[in-house]
Formats: sequence, C-alpha cells, structure tokens
Amino acid sequence: MQIVIDGKNITADHGLTILEIAKKEGIHIPTLCFMEKLLPIGSCRMCVVEVEGYENPVTACNTPAVDGMVIRTNTEKIRNMRKDILRFLLINHPLDCPICDKGGECLLQDLVYEYNVDVQPYTIKAPLKEYKEYSTPAIKYHPNRCVMCSRCIRTCREVVGRNVLDIVGNGFDARVEPVNPDRCIACGECLSACPVGALTETVSPTKGRIWQIKRVPTVCAYCGVGCSLELNVLDNKIIKVTTDVNAGMNKGVLCAKGRFGYEFVNSPERLTKPLIRKGNELVETTWDEALSFVASKLTEIKNKYGSDSIAGLASARCTNEDNYLFQKFIRAVIGTNNVDHCARL
Amino acid sequence: MSEQKKYMTLNMGPQHPATHGVLKVILELEGEVIHRAIPVIGHLHRGVEKLGESKTYIQNIVYTDRLDYTSAMINNLAYCLAVEKLMNIEVPERAKVIRVIMSELSRIAAHLIWLATHALDIGAMTLYFYCFREREKILDMWEMVSGQRLTPSYIRIGGLLADLPEGFMDKLKEFVDTFDAHVDEYDKLLSKNPIWLARTKDIGIISAEDAISWGLTGPALRGSGVKFDYRKAQPYCGYEEYEFDVPVGSKGDNYDRYLVRMEELRQSNRILKQAIKRLPEGPIKAHVPEIVFPDKDLVLKNIEALIHQFKIGCGGFTVPKGEVYASVENAKGELGFYIVSDGSSMPYRFRIKSSCFVNLSALPEIVKGSMIADVVAVIGSIDIVLGEIDR
Ligand code: SF4
Ligand code: SF4
Ligand code: SF4
Ligand code: FES
Repeated sequence: MQIVIDGKNITADHGLTILEIAKKEGIHIPTLCFMEKLLPIGSCRMCVVEVEGYENPVTACNTPAVDGMVIRTNTEKIRNMRKDILRFLLINHPLDCPICDKGGECLLQDLVYEYNVDVQPYTIKAPLKEYKEYSTPAIKYHPNRCVMCSRCIRTCREVVGRNVLDIVGNGFDARVEPVNPDRCIACGECLSACPVGALTETVSPTKGRIWQIKRVPTVCAYCGVGCSLELNVLDNKIIKVTTDVNAGMNKGVLCAKGRFGYEFVNSPERLTKPLIRKGNELVETTWDEALSFVASKLTEIKNKYGSDSIAGLASARCTNEDNYLFQKFIRAVIGTNNVDHCARL
Repeated sequence: MSEQKKYMTLNMGPQHPATHGVLKVILELEGEVIHRAIPVIGHLHRGVEKLGESKTYIQNIVYTDRLDYTSAMINNLAYCLAVEKLMNIEVPERAKVIRVIMSELSRIAAHLIWLATHALDIGAMTLYFYCFREREKILDMWEMVSGQRLTPSYIRIGGLLADLPEGFMDKLKEFVDTFDAHVDEYDKLLSKNPIWLARTKDIGIISAEDAISWGLTGPALRGSGVKFDYRKAQPYCGYEEYEFDVPVGSKGDNYDRYLVRMEELRQSNRILKQAIKRLPEGPIKAHVPEIVFPDKDLVLKNIEALIHQFKIGCGGFTVPKGEVYASVENAKGELGFYIVSDGSSMPYRFRIKSSCFVNLSALPEIVKGSMIADVVAVIGSIDIVLGEIDR
C-alpha cells in the first residue's frame, strides 16, 4: 500500500491507522485521548489531519490508511482547528498550574505551548464543579482540570477490567465519576492514564516537580511477578511510584501495592538495629552480639532436639539472592527442609 | 650582582582601594620608576561563560548584570540583542526607545562612578559625594522599573520586563533638566585644579596607533583621537536617529580621557532629551508567545497566559541552531556576546567580549617608565571593572 504523508512517499502495511504509520515514519501528530493500549475512540480531535479528496479532516488515531491516500498533518487549517480545540478545553480551566501535581509534565500544557494558544476568544458562565469522593482515598479527582478524554474510564474498563468509572452529566456539567465504587481495587491505573492533573495521588504529603525528582528504575519487591517500577525520589525520599510503558513485562501497568505501597521505606518504625529480648524488654544491641547469641542458641537447640526442631521463615521482601542464601543455610547448615516464606504479603 | 637584583618587586592589590575591584599588579621598580607592571587577574572569576552553558537563555540575563555592575542595563541589552539577532526577533518601537534611555542612564551612572573614584584616588574627595548624589537618582529610577538598584535585569529577550511605572517620566525629566548644570559643577571642581592637572596631563599617554593596534575601545580609544563609537559605527536600537557627538582627545593622556568622558556625560544627556520627546505609546514586548513572558496581570487571570509563563519559566525556550555575535558601546567600550546555539534551550557556547579586559591589557605598556604613583592615576583613567574582566 502506498500513501503520502506531508509529501513523503510511504509504503505501509494494510490495516494500520494513519497515526501508526506516521509514528513509524517519525512524523509527529499530536494526540490527547489516544493511548496505545486502549481502543482509539477519536474523541478529542487533536489528531485531525487533512486527506486529499475528503471533505472534512479525519482523526488520525482511528482512521485506517487506504491505498493512495495523500495526507497533510500540519497545514494552516489543521493548526487552527487544533488551536480551537485547545481553546475549548481551556474555557473553564482553573488557574492551577502552580499548585497542580502535573505542572511541567502535563500534556495540556505542552499542547497549549506547542500551538501557542495565547488568547481566549470564548467565554462561558459556568460555575466551578465541586469536589467529590473518588472510588479510592489514594486518588483525588479535580473535576475542573479534567479534559474529558476518558482515558481513565477506558483504562479501568479495558486494561483493569473493573469498569468502575463513567462520565456523568453532560455539557459543562460532565465529570468522571466512580459509578461502581465498590468494584475499585485501588490499582491507580486511572491515575497513571490521566494526561493532565485531573487525577492526583494523595499518599505522599511531599510532592516534587519533574525536574526536581530523580526517577530510579527498579523491580517491585512485593510479589513474584516482578513489575518494573520507577521510584520518584526527592531528597532521598520516595514521593511517588511510576512505571515506564516500555520497561519490563508489566508494560506500564501496576497494582495497588506496587504503586501506592512505598511509605514503609521511609517509616521511622523500621528496625535498623538488632534487638535481643532481655527479661520482658527488647534491647538494642550490636550485630556481633546478636549473631553470636543466635548461633549459640541454634547450635544448642539442634544438638538437644535435632535439626527438624528448627524451621526458617524468610521474607518475600528480601531479594532472591538473600532468600537463596537463607534456604541454603537452613538446609545445609541446620539440616532441615523446614523452610518457607510469606509469599502472599 | 645580577641584572635582576636591581629591581624591587611590589604587590599592589588585590586588597588595594585604588585597583577598582580585586586586581593585583606586580610592580618591578627601580626606585620609584616602573620597570615592569604585570596585572594579575582572576580573583573575581565566577566562571560566567561556563555557567552560561548550563543556564537557559532567560536565566543568563541575570549573569550579565554582574559583569560591569556599574552599568548593568547596557549589559542586559548587549546580551538580549545577541539572542534576538539569533532568533530574528524585532522589538517594538517603544521598547527600543526605553532601551536607549536605560543605556544612556547606565553610561552616566558608570561614568559617575569612574569620575568619583578616579578623583578620589588622586586625592580629590569632594567630588565623590557630588557624583554619588546624581548616581543615586539613576539607581532610584532603576528601582522604580525593576525593583533592583544594581542588578535590574530589566531588559529582556524580546523587549522589557515591564512598562515604565507611573511617575518614572517625571523623575527622568527632572534628572535630565538638572544634569547639565551638575556636569558644570564637576567641571568647575576639577578641570582647572592644579593638582588634578599635574596628575593627569601628559600622564599615561597612548598614541592613536597603539590604541588601535592594542584593540582598545571606548573612551580609552577615543581619548587618543580615534573617533569610533559602536553607536555610530553599528547602530542598534535606532541610535542612528539620535543626534549626538562623539568626543575625542588629541594627545591620549589621562586628561584627554577625562575630557572625553566629561563630554560623554553631556552627550548622553542630550540623547536622553531626544528620547523623552520620541518615546511612543505601544507595547514593550514583541509578540512571540513561545519566547516572551506574557504580562503578569494576564497570567493571574488567564490560563493560556499562565501555561505560557509556566512553560517558559520552567523549561526556557529553544533557540534555532546557529551562531551570532552582537555588541554594544557600553561605558567602557565594546561589550559583545558570541553565542552558539545547538538548538536546545541553553547556549552551547557563551562567550563575552570585554573591553575592560582588552583595555587593562595595555596597562603594562602605558605605565612602563612612569612613576609608581601614576599607576593609580592610569588605572582610574582607563576605567576598568573587574566583574567584566574576570567574568
Ligand atoms: S492539568 Fe495541566 S494545565 Fe491544568 S492546572 Fe494542571 S498542569 Fe495546569
Ligand atoms: S484505581 Fe483501578 S480499579 Fe479503581 S477506578 Fe482506578 S483504574 Fe479502576
Ligand atoms: S480524569 Fe484525566 S483521564 Fe479521566 S477524563 Fe479527566 S482528564 Fe481524562
Ligand atoms: S487522539 Fe485522536 S481523537 Fe483524540
């Protein structure tokens, strides 16, 4: 199949959308409601392109290319249409950027800047929408920042399969609402799908701008799936967990534990020194003392009651290497197969 | 006894009140006569040029204030002109005239410091207070427009930080109307003073040929009779439309350079008078939303403006690949910026051409064979600021 995009002759496979072909060829078409893992619904119309012989522009994200198409992605007319779409989105947008979690990595900001939308010819008298409870306390929904792309709703439906959210109301009253709040598993997939700051996380009281934080790639230590994570670190403290769509087998998807369960890392209650029970008290001690105490007791018990009187219980939060060594120790040194771990944390 | 033993080495500075900043000059003396003078610079080195490579184009403006900090506004201008040239931005007429006003106020402010300290170095203390009386008024005006007295960063890429506040023009007119009389005052205090004459006439002579071959610019060049001024040679901000003379000396001694700068004070005031008449109404920023900050009152009301403010402020803007050199006539001579852009939001190379650096390099030649006391008079006369030399 032969098509032309912005004057470039392209040989493409059948069945691909205009957007997919353009992306492969390195031609940039802006999108807002489109997400690779969701079905394209063509609702925001940011991706409009002109096709020769077509009366109206078409949305690139859900229009399959057909042989002989001549497409233009960046004409004056198209740019103006996109500008107008952005103006509509901004009509009642709150002046929140400075206090918005998303400022600096917000798709709406980027598009407005890219398209130089600097004046607003339209006005509307609509009251600000009220805040309401979301389906999980880990997430807050800011109705006035929402651009109605429905990425959250579709992610919950198509990726997570929980079908919690829907758009309620219409026109300027429209908002995303948890219509089946009981089905929510607090996975935060909707949060990560939101291109703007309409869904924000409430777990960390500390926030950091994208240029202040360091994103450290790592593997989730909660379960055996081993999802790829990025710890968002500010001043040596984890303030958020994100994940890269291109990394690992989880492809940008996480569960509630991986996404929100990071507070323990900074908890002041974590044990950092060994404790020995003396009488009724747990007393801080040195590693030397603790280890020789354990060693002498284990030897004593083993000699008196036999190896099988001892069992080892390890933690699933340890690394594979640690756990391997632990079972080796129990099996080879203590001499028993009584070893397990708390896999289902 | 070896040849070298004949000379006594004396360190003048870096903590010396008459070296105008932290300059050290190693003097090799034969009695009171200078055999060799070696300027040692670098005490004020901040790495501005290197820093420039890791700051956005907007952030770099504040570093320019701190070059020749006696006349920060011209430095802002030179840098902004370079970036504007690279990006093909034309600023509105009103902004151009205000830029001229600020440039000439800077020149006056800088020359007043020169006069005050030059005279003080040689022992004429009274004048110091007269000069600072007028300089204060200029700093007050800068405070009005920018909130800052020494480091205003008022001139911005694409225009100005903000329009002139209410009451500014009245202050300016009052200043302009009285300033000529003040210059006469300085003139009376110094020009015929026998001590002043003894310390400046026929001291520190630079011939026109030397001045040119050493690459001097500014009053240090014009004092030797070379009529060259960037405002005439390569006009910017519409300087070609103003009437003013470029004063020159004949002999190239300290006194000639003194007369040149005194006349420049008057000529700057002459330009200010024309600028006041010329100042049109209109915008003070070019309309390039992706580069120029929107007006603050819009930012507080309008999400489009807020987003632009956020994006430009946090990430800066990208500048097309290319390189550029632009220069202005500041109070000391040519101040130029050479910028190479690799297409990102920070310069790939950020180079500053400083007239002070070049003019100071001539010091060893000028003072060779003269008396030790003349070093102070010559340093004052070639008028240097270490903030620009060391960078
Ligand atoms: S969602 Fe984006 S545009 Fe809206 S306030 Fe947040 S950062 Fe600004
Ligand atoms: S947290 Fe997960 S289950 Fe709950 S609404 Fe969001 S995507 Fe759906
Ligand atoms: S909450 Fe976010 S993802 Fe959901 S519709 Fe609004 S803008 Fe889109
Ligand atoms: S991205 Fe195609 S319509 Fe939204």
